[in-house]
Parts: sequence; structure tokens; C-alpha cells
Amino acid sequence: MSGMTTVARLELVLRYRAGRWRWLLVSWFLGLTVFSVLLELVVRRSHGYQSHEGTVLFGGLQLFMLGLALFIVPALTSQSVNGDREQGRLGVLQVTEVTASDIIGGKLLAAWGTACLFVLVSAPITVWAMVQGGITVWQVLVVSVVMMLLLGIICAVGLGLSAILSRSTTSSVLTYVAVFVLTVGTLVLAGLISAIDQPSGGSLTWQPLAPNPFVILADTAPAAPTKRFCFSVDGGGGALYAPGSTTTDPVTPSPQVICQTELVPGDVLGGIRESIRRTEGTNGYAFGPTPPGTPVWPYGLAFDLLVAGALLWAAVRRLRTPRRRVPNGVRLA
Amino acid sequence: MPVTMVADTGATEPAVLVEGVWRAFGDSEALRGVDFLASHGEVTGMVGPNGAGKTTLLLILSTLLAPDRGRVRIRGLDPMTETSDVRRLLGWVPDVFGIYDNLTVREYLRFAGRARSLSKTLAGDRAETMLELVRLGEWADRPVHVLSRGQKQRLAMASALVHEPSVLLLDEPTAGLDPSSRAEFLQLVRHLTDQGVAVVVSSHLLADLEQMADRVVVMDRGVTVGERRLNEQPDHAVARVWRLRSLDDERLATVLAGLGVTAVPLRASGVELTLETEEAAASLIAALVGAGVPLVSCGPVESSLEATYFELTVPE
Repeated sequence: MSGMTTVARLELVLRYRAGRWRWLLVSWFLGLTVFSVLLELVVRRSHGYQSHEGTVLFGGLQLFMLGLALFIVPALTSQSVNGDREQGRLGVLQVTEVTASDIIGGKLLAAWGTACLFVLVSAPITVWAMVQGGITVWQVLVVSVVMMLLLGIICAVGLGLSAILSRSTTSSVLTYVAVFVLTVGTLVLAGLISAIDQPSGGSLTWQPLAPNPFVILADTAPAAPTKRFCFSVDGGGGALYAPGSTTTDPVTPSPQVICQTELVPGDVLGGIRESIRRTEGTNGYAFGPTPPGTPVWPYGLAFDLLVAGALLWAAVRRLRTPRRRVPNGVRLA
Repeated sequence: MPVTMVADTGATEPAVLVEGVWRAFGDSEALRGVDFLASHGEVTGMVGPNGAGKTTLLLILSTLLAPDRGRVRIRGLDPMTETSDVRRLLGWVPDVFGIYDNLTVREYLRFAGRARSLSKTLAGDRAETMLELVRLGEWADRPVHVLSRGQKQRLAMASALVHEPSVLLLDEPTAGLDPSSRAEFLQLVRHLTDQGVAVVVSSHLLADLEQMADRVVVMDRGVTVGERRLNEQPDHAVARVWRLRSLDDERLATVLAGLGVTAVPLRASGVELTLETEEAAASLIAALVGAGVPLVSCGPVESSLEATYFELTVPE
């Protein structure tokens, strides 16, 4: 553990000394502020001020933040190990009493800590969204923790690839490719699979979408207070509960009863969540067929964690010395 | 140099023992049964042409690379099975120093100490000792990137010595150093061996090795082809080219011809000739002086190490 903290401290000092990260943090904050101000203007112009305005701001901000972070975070680790190797630093560290796990763990901690700093820097804007109403501290906490976890996964993917691949440019490109696959690729795959399964058109399959970071973030976010309608299918479609009833209503969906949730207008996190969990969703999307209300994030998060864990394991193995096998083109020191 | 460096080196076994070590990278055999020995309190040089396997052997000794077969011991310990213990005994300075440019000199040395599992206090104390040893005290709070190559070299040495190793491995340590940095480095190495450290140096600069090494092992194409102890009298049996200069070239040529010695006249002045032994050189000098040749200088063109090198290695 001492070796790991030594490496982590070194990495953090080096990052701090590299002035570009400070500028990036400032730019990050300014970017989020501008986005939030514009989003609020759009919300007020389309809906006028409402008590749930914070829900819209918060959801939009979190998705924007995740999207932006997915561009920045790969750079934190994707050249971490092979970059050190190329500069002759890795071997010098490997002949000390710092172990391969210490090196990987320390680098991951430092990179993840830096990624979390980006989330923490956005706190003032999040508080601003809370002040607008419709957001609870619990929602903010859960979404922030999940966001940090997702960024940690991306850090781990980049770090693993940087240890496995000898060239830093290759690992950098592949990390961004991995992020692209997780975000856009999963959506494309879901669309293709659905098209094959249901040539006439229909709902998207949820499995390929589960590892998507945006889906995980939205699906784990605690629901904002919503209204729900439940309809009896075989009873002529009459509403069992009128608008105004809440999600705590004791209605259990079944083949005979379909429930739909009326979301806060503009609640993008809720929209994605409801869409991914329902056969017949709201907001014009249909991402089924999970049973209504069943969360998909455990599957997606487990998959992502498994990939990240496997890459970290491979990275530790790759750094173990003395090496018996040395791949072509890999320098040891 | 007032700083006392290394503590316990009181071992009876050799500092480094390598017996019949093989190592291949794919189809290419870098080491083909190399033997090597280094003792405490000595500088052991490792020379050989490019591709001789010197760096591969250093990587094996530094615990980064495993041999395919053969026996390696560092003070009696096996680097493959007792890696951590061996690392506590070893200091390693690669040809690329691998220093973090954004740290200050003091920070880097403290980090090196912490990476060697020294406590925070001890790492701090050792950093100060090392700053004094390598005379970088004035630069302690400056970032590493402002140092010259010679200073970086000394810093890399300091970081390799921070945990008081008893075996120090140096890969091309004097390459790219200016004459004063080189002199300082040689002095530092000599200081370390006086403290009992076993220093293993791989270098192409034979003149530097001749100044610092006690023994030199010559490697070629993955095998040990010979070795020489440099602080002994040169090998009398090695034929070498000698250069003679005289105030009277004509007289020199006449006397040499009279003695039956074949010499090649040089364009500027003097002659070069091959002599089989140093005794033959001594006899020739005496004969020339006795014959009234005004000799100005007489000495081997190649250093003795250079002669050994060319004799033992095969040009590509």
C-alpha cells in the first residue's frame, strides 16, 4: 500500500505541475457554466419558470458533463504506462521495491482522483440546479458517485491498454475507440439487433445498451417525483388511476395493466431511465423488452467493471518482472 | 568527498555471479552461455561490440529480465526467486536516466527513497546525504529539467544509491558527458568502490573504462570471450602498434633499418611499428637511445584495453 501511495502521490504532483491541467479545469468549469446558463434560458423560454426547473438543469448538466468527461478522461491514463516506458522511467521504477500492482494501483488512483476533481469542480453549478428546485441531495449524491465510478472505469480501460500496448499513440487511439464503442457503438448495435429481430420496426433491445455510460448514469439516478397513469388493457383502456397519483400508488403492472409515467417535462435522465426500462415507453421511445420498472444498470455496470478489471489484471501481469516473455518491439527500460 | 556511502558489504560470495546464461528474443539469441563475475570494492567493466549482449545481461542483473537458462546470483541471491531481496541490494542507472523532469532534485531523491521503502524521515535524510555526495546541493530546489546532462547523470546515480546498495549497475554512464563531468563521475565511482560497493559498468568508451575499471570482461555475440585485470601490468604477450617520434626522423629510420625493424613513416613526423611484447619495446627504446637517436616520445598507439578488445572481438 505504501508503494501505491508513493506512485499515486508522484503522479498527482506531476499532473499538478503540468500547468495544462489547471487550465483544463478552469475551461471545464466555464464550459459547464455556459452550458447551464444556456440550458436554463431554453427551459424558461419553452416552459416558463417552474418549480421543477432544477430537474431539467441537473439532468442536462449531468449528461453534458459525462459527454465532456468521456473526451477528457481517456487522456489521463491512455499513455500512462507505455509513455513512462518510452521515456525510460518505467524500468527505473520497476527495479525498486514498488510492485507491479503498486504501479498500476497508484496510477489508477491518481488518474481517478483527477477525474473526480472534474466532477467536484462542477459542484457550484449542481448546487445552483438544486436551488432551482425539483432535485434532492440524495439524487445529487447518487448521480455524482455513479459518474465518478464511470470515470474510474474509463481510467482503468485507458491504463490497462497503456500497459498492454507498447506504443502510446496506439493505446491512446484505442481508448477513445473503446469510449466510442461504449457510447455510440452500443446504440448502433442495439439498433442493428432490433432491426434484425423485428424487420418491421419495434422497440430496441436493451442488452447492448446496458453498458452505455449514459444509460447507466440515467438508470441509476433516483427518480424525480413523477405522476403515473395505469391502464387496464382488457378493460377497454380506461385509466385505473387518474393523473395526479404518484409512483407510490399500489398498482402492480401486469399483462393486463400497463403503467406509464408522466415525467417532469425536460427530465432527460428520467426519460432515458423510463425508456430503457419499459416495453412501451414515454417520450416516444421504446427500448424494451425488460419487465416494466426493472433496472438495467446492474448488468451494464457489471459488464463495464468486468472489462475494466480484466484490463487492470492484464496490466499488472504485463508489468511483473523479471519478464520471461517480451513481446516484439517492447523495450524493458 | 566527505560522505560515507555504503554500509554492509561484508559478504564472502561474489557480488555478481553469472554462469552459462542464455537468453533469446524470438529467434535471436542475445546471450549464448555468458559467464561473468564481479567482486565487492571493484569496478568491473563490460565491453563488447553492439549486439554483444551487454544490455541484455544488465537487464537480467537488474531483475527486469529472466534468463532462459543458466545461473545468476547477486550476493548469493537468485534474482528470479528472491527478487525483492535482490532489489534491496541493487542500484541501477540505465543509459536513459528516466528522471521526472517536473520534480525538483530534492523531491526526486525523496521519491526514490520512498520507492525503496525508506520511511519518510529516512528518505528525506538520505536525499540530503545524496545531494552532498553528488554535489547537487545548490540545485536541490530547482526542477530537474534545468540540469545539464552531467548533472542529470549524477542525479540518476544518487537515486540509485539512495538505499545504500552494495551492487551498482551502470549502463553507458559516461556517454555524452563533457570532460569535467566525466572526471567527476570517475571520481564518484572510485569513491563508491572504496566504500566496498561492487560496480558493474557497461561502456563503449574504453578510455573511461581504463581509468575506472579494475577488471574488464569482453563479450562478443552473446558469450564471454575474455577478461583482463587492468590494475595489473599489461599483458606482455599482446602485440601492439607503437608510435615513436624523434627530433631526427632520418636518423631514426636509419637506426631502425639497421636493427632490422620494419616501421611505417607517419606523414607529420615519427614512425609506427608493431612490437610483440613490452619487453621488445623496452629493448628497442634502449637500442635507439644508445645509437644516439634523439627520441621525443614512444608509446602504444592503442591503449592496452583497446588492443585486447580488438584482439578478442570479431568485426561485423
